[in-house]
Amino acid sequence: MGCESGGLVVASKAVNDKDLIERCRAGERSAQRQLYEQTSPRIYRLLLRMTGHEGDASDLTQETYVKGFQRFDQFDGRSAVASWFYRIAINEALQFRRRRSVAAAKLVTMSRSQSCEASPPSGADLKMDLQDAMAALTPNDRALLLLRYQEGLDYRGMAEVLKCPEGTIASRLNRARDRLRDILRKSYG
Amino acid sequence: MGSRPARGRLPVDDPRIRGDQRGEIGMCCEKIEKELGCYVDGELTETRRSAVEAHLESCSKCRAEVGELRELAIGIAGTVPPVAPDAVWEGIERRLGQPADPAAQSGRSARSLRLRGVPWAIAAVVVLAVGLGWFGLSSSDTSAQASTVDFGVLLEALPLDANKAFQRFLVRYGGKPTTPIAAKRIAPDLDFDTPPELPGGFKLRSVFQLRIGNATGIAASYDRDGEFLAVVFHPPMKHEKFGTHQDYPCVIGKHCGHKVQVGDWKLVHLTDATTCHCLLSKLDEKSEMPEVMSAIAPNSRNRFEH
Repeated sequence: MGCESGGLVVASKAVNDKDLIERCRAGERSAQRQLYEQTSPRIYRLLLRMTGHEGDASDLTQETYVKGFQRFDQFDGRSAVASWFYRIAINEALQFRRRRSVAAAKLVTMSRSQSCEASPPSGADLKMDLQDAMAALTPNDRALLLLRYQEGLDYRGMAEVLKCPEGTIASRLNRARDRLRDILRKSYG
Repeated sequence: MGSRPARGRLPVDDPRIRGDQRGEIGMCCEKIEKELGCYVDGELTETRRSAVEAHLESCSKCRAEVGELRELAIGIAGTVPPVAPDAVWEGIERRLGQPADPAAQSGRSARSLRLRGVPWAIAAVVVLAVGLGWFGLSSSDTSAQASTVDFGVLLEALPLDANKAFQRFLVRYGGKPTTPIAAKRIAPDLDFDTPPELPGGFKLRSVFQLRIGNATGIAASYDRDGEFLAVVFHPPMKHEKFGTHQDYPCVIGKHCGHKVQVGDWKLVHLTDATTCHCLLSKLDEKSEMPEVMSAIAPNSRNRFEH
């Protein structure tokens, strides 16, 4: 049944129209718009789950497509076109997270130097739902789980996006799932 | 104690199992546990899947683990997907810094505009109609018209190809493939069924989640030896649009509804308190249609009987 088919390969049959890709490569705006409309709901959704913030997700979506189209001549067509944008989106999300961590660390340093100590809420007192637990994962773990369960990519599709051997996906997913469950278990005592 | 399972295999924690046997099963459990994630993801080979399923028959611990993994997968998947704001594309266009009019790029992209003799406009419609079964369009119309569903996009394309017309409708409303079981979870307030086979031999081909404004709908397509049939379920709406077509009252079984006819195709709507059941088919309203309606609208079954 079509609805049961694995993620990226079947999905991308829809958006791998060669003419559309050629027109995008040639810089034709209407083709780029078409490809954007076909793929952006998923990219935006992924980035929203990665960042937890609509404004950040919008900014990163924009960044993803600007870079994706500017470098589209590098897309060789061997992988699905969706994986091209997924890859850029994940890299943008990871870099965004690194920039934000650096900025937050500077903020904490400044706060301490001004004798303004923030006391974080006690984790033991917080009940954490699944979305909170996802947010507590590393960006890499979160990306793995979202690509599989939100975006519906199969292991081959995930390997295409993450540029890693397909054989490593299972163990990486297992570890991400275990870490997520550890976070959930700890939050419920 | 419980009875022995049909295949003679005892649960691993059954006291009739000797200690040394339990050790063997425990080791098997340890090996199988590592594969449960792949099993839930549908990524095991046929051989390994059979081995895991054979183990699950006698291991409640691993069965519980599979249940947890499935719940986790559903939870991570989330519910109705959000849509990127329109301003995102405007920003992309600005930053790409190229004119929007394709004609202005004719000097550079004459080759790309030549689509092997196929007129560009028709090719665009074909790409849209055929190629967008997975990714939904992000349309400002869908979010603005929360109390309206427009079947015009479906009806206008019907005379050409019903399947493609259905695809256009899916694109319009952000159709995302799902499964019959997940559809029930996604739209718990709707009364509907998408059985594997409908009366008359129509076999289920695909199920989709729809986003109609702020409401969730479900659509499914069926096939009987090349004959197409589609169903759409959505909450009752203030307005339903049918393009240039007129809808007329009709009676299916004991239920009064409305019908729009386009050639041999009929789009029949029957609405109850929670759900509008829409059936697109060539079925006869007196003979086959009541049984099919009965199959897709479980709470109204008795109203479709002759």
